[in-house]
Amino acid sequence: MRLGVRRLSKRYGSVQALDEIDFELRPGEVMALLGENGAGKSTLVKILSGLVSPDSGEIEIDGSSATLYPSARSQAAGVAVVHQEYSSVPTLSVAENLVLGQKGVSPLWLPGRLNARAKKLLAAVGLDNLDPRTTVDRLSVAEMQLLEIARLLVRDARVLIFDEPTAALADREIERVLTVIRRLASEGRSVIYVTHRLPEVFRLADRVTVFRNGRSLPAKPVSELDVDAVITMMLGRELGTMFPNHGSFESKPIFQVDGLLASGLTQSVSLELRRGEILGLTGQLGSGASAVIQSLAGVLMPTAGHVQLDGEELSLRSRAATLKRGIAYCTADRKRDGIFAGRAIRENLSSPWMRSVSSGGWISGRRERRRTKEVAAQFAIDVKRLGIAVSTLSGGNQQKVAVGKWLGAEPRVMLLEEPTRGVDIGARAEIYQRLRELCNSGVGIIVASSDTSEILGLSDTIATFYRGQMTRIMAYNEWTEDALVREVMHQESAT
Amino acid sequence: MSEPSGVEPVGAAPSQSTRRPRADWLPQAIIAGLAVTAITVSIILTPSFLTIDNIRAILRNASIVGIVAVAMTPMTLSGNFVSLAISQSSMLAMVSFVAMIGAGWPQPVAILIVILALIVVGIVQGIIVATGLNPIITTLAAGAIIYGVVSEITGGGIIRAGDNLVSWGSSTLAGIPIQVLVFLFFTILVTILMSRTVIGRETMLVGANRATAGISGISIFRVTILAFVIFSVGLALAGILNGAAFNQATARSFPNLTIDVIAALLVGGTAIQGGQGSPLRSAGGALLIAVISNMMVLNDFSTGGRLAVQGGVVVVIVVLLDQMRRRRMASS
Repeated sequence: MRLGVRRLSKRYGSVQALDEIDFELRPGEVMALLGENGAGKSTLVKILSGLVSPDSGEIEIDGSSATLYPSARSQAAGVAVVHQEYSSVPTLSVAENLVLGQKGVSPLWLPGRLNARAKKLLAAVGLDNLDPRTTVDRLSVAEMQLLEIARLLVRDARVLIFDEPTAALADREIERVLTVIRRLASEGRSVIYVTHRLPEVFRLADRVTVFRNGRSLPAKPVSELDVDAVITMMLGRELGTMFPNHGSFESKPIFQVDGLLASGLTQSVSLELRRGEILGLTGQLGSGASAVIQSLAGVLMPTAGHVQLDGEELSLRSRAATLKRGIAYCTADRKRDGIFAGRAIRENLSSPWMRSVSSGGWISGRRERRRTKEVAAQFAIDVKRLGIAVSTLSGGNQQKVAVGKWLGAEPRVMLLEEPTRGVDIGARAEIYQRLRELCNSGVGIIVASSDTSEILGLSDTIATFYRGQMTRIMAYNEWTEDALVREVMHQESAT
Repeated sequence: MSEPSGVEPVGAAPSQSTRRPRADWLPQAIIAGLAVTAITVSIILTPSFLTIDNIRAILRNASIVGIVAVAMTPMTLSGNFVSLAISQSSMLAMVSFVAMIGAGWPQPVAILIVILALIVVGIVQGIIVATGLNPIITTLAAGAIIYGVVSEITGGGIIRAGDNLVSWGSSTLAGIPIQVLVFLFFTILVTILMSRTVIGRETMLVGANRATAGISGISIFRVTILAFVIFSVGLALAGILNGAAFNQATARSFPNLTIDVIAALLVGGTAIQGGQGSPLRSAGGALLIAVISNMMVLNDFSTGGRLAVQGGVVVVIVVLLDQMRRRRMASS
C-alpha cells in the first residue's frame, strides 16, 4: 500500500472535522475523494500536505509510519498537492517557475539550460507545444493548472493530491488535465482526486472514498458503483432543526431581473423575487450563481439586462448606487471584503449606514451606540463589547458581524454569497434564523451558495446554475436533495 | 469545499468566544511614557531645560512639524501612505506668501490665496492618487515639479517682504507663541473631524480595508480628495507661519521638513498602512521629537549627531510599535 491512514481525528474547537477516519491508497491508483461541504475532505488534504497536525491517528507511507507535519516533512515524504489557487509567479517565465523553490538548482539562471529542462517537464504534462519562455500570465487556466502539475513532478512526488483541479476549466480543458492525471497514475504514482463532479469520477478514478460528517465510508471500486449509489453514499445527513420553517410570500414581485448578462454568464438570466421570499442560487465554483449576485450588487458591471426594484428601474452601475436603493450585499470572503478586521465591532456594524445616525455630517455617538446595540442584540453579538476589534472574534461571530451590519441599513433586498462559509454549526443556525426573520419582515433575500443542503434548507425557491447558465428554477418542495445534487454536479450525464 | 478552518466554538455565549484584546490605548501610553522619561532625563541633565524660554522654544519648534504631521495623518489613515513633497509644498506656501506681502498685497488676501493655491495643488495630486497611481510616486513627482518651478521663478535668490514686514509672526498671546496656538487649534480641529464626522470615519475605514469600504458604499475617491485637502491646509499654514516669522524665503526653505513630519507621524503610532492612529498622536510625536532634539541642542550635540540620534530614536519607537501591533493581530 502506498498510503495508509488509520483512525485519524482532528477537532477545530467544538467541531469534529475528522472522526477516526480510515483511508488507503495503492500504488498507481486514482482514488476519488467525495463528500459534501464540511464532510472533512479539506481537513484530510490539509493533514496530508502538512498544513495542520492531526489530533490522533496513524499515517503510513510505503509501509513505514510517517509524520507529515509540518509541510516540509510532507514534501520530503513524497506528498504533493495541486491547489485550486495557483502558486506560480505570473511575471516569470514558465521555465523560471519550474525551478522556483527547488533544491539543488544552480544559482545562475542560464536561460538555455532552464529552457531545455523545462521542455522535458512540460512534455510530461502534455504541454509539448508551450514555449518555456512564455510568461505565466499569458497562459490559459488549463495551462496554468498543468504547469502546477509539472512543478510537482520536479519534486518526484509519489502521492499527488488534486483539490478540485477542474473547477474553473471548460470541457475541452478538463479532458487535457484528466489525460495527464491518468498518465501520471499509469507511471506508478498514486493520485487522490477531490471533486464535486461525479462524471469525472467515473471517467478517471479506480476507487471512491466517501466522507460524510467527518467520518469515512469504506473505499469501493468505481466499477461496482453508479451515480445513484454514490449520491446515496454522500447524502443522509440529518438537517434536524438547523433551518427555520419556510415562509409564505406574496405573488407580486419586488425585484425583477430581466435578461441579465455579465462576465461569467454565457446565457442571459431572468428571475423574480417576491416580498418574503428567499431565493437560492446554487452551482459549483464558476457556475454563474455568484456572477448574478455580484451584478445585482453593483460590483460586476452587467453587459445586458434590466432590473426593477418595486417597479422602478434599478441602475447597477456602482455599488453606491445599488446601496442607496436598499440593496445589501454580504460577500463570500469576509476577510477580503466583508469586515474591517482591525476596527471595532461597532464601527463595522454601522459602516454601511452611519449616515442614518448622523446629522450634518456629524455622527451622533449616542444614536450610533443605540442602533448598533439593537442590531447586535438581534444577532446575539455581545452588546457590552462592541468596542473591541472584530479580528478578536471567532470565525462564526465575525460572519455574524459581516451579515448583521446590513440589518441597520434597512435593506429592501439582501444579497448574500456563501453566507456560512467557515462558520460553525451554532452560528450557522443563528444566521439562517435571522435571515428568515428578515425575510418575514418583508425583505427579499437572494442567497448564492455552493452548499446544496444549505440552499435546500433555507430557500423557498431554488435556481441551479451550471457553466454560466441558469439550468432550472423550482419551488423548494419540488426539489429533493438528491435531485439538486444531481442537477448541480452531473449535468453532463443527465443530458 | 469543506472549510473547517477558522471554525471556532460559538454555540456558547458569544462573550466566551471572544478573547480579551490588548487595550487600544497601550501604544499611546508607551509614547507618553517615553516622552515623560525624555523630559525627566532632560531636566536632570540640563538645568536650562525647564525655563519658560526653553519650553516656549520647544513648543515653537514642534509647532511647524506638528501642524503638518497632524494635517498628513488623514492621508496616512486612509491608506495613502505619506507625501514626499512636504518640504517643497510648504516652501511653495512660504515663498508665495512672502512674495505677495513684498508686493504690497493685504495680508488676509495673501493668506487666503496661499491656502487656496495649496489646496488646488493638493487636489490635483489627490485626483491622480484616487485614480490609482501610487501616492509615493505621485507626491515625489509633485515635489520635484514644485521645487523646479519655484527655483526657476526665484532664480535661486531670496524673496523678501521688504518694507511690508509682517509683525505678528514672532508675537505671542498670553505668552504663547502664535505658531503654538495655531498648532493647538488645528490639532483639535482635525482630531474632531476624524473621530466625530462621517467623512472622518470613512477615512479610517478606507484605510482599514479598502475593498470592504467599497462594498459598504463608501466613496474612496471622496475620502482621498478630502485627505489631500486637509493636508494642503496644514502645508499652507506652516508656510504662512514661517513666512510671517522670518519675512523672507527661498526655494530651499524647510530643508528637513519631509523627514521630520514622517518621523513625527510614525513615532505617534499611526500605522503606515492606514486604518489605525489619530492626528492627536501625530501631534504627540512631533512634541516628543522636539523635546529630544532640544535636549541635544542644550547639551551641545553637533547637527550631524542630533540627526543621527533622532533617526535612531524614530527607528526604535517605530519598530516597538510595529511589534506590538503584530502581536495584537497574531493573538486574534
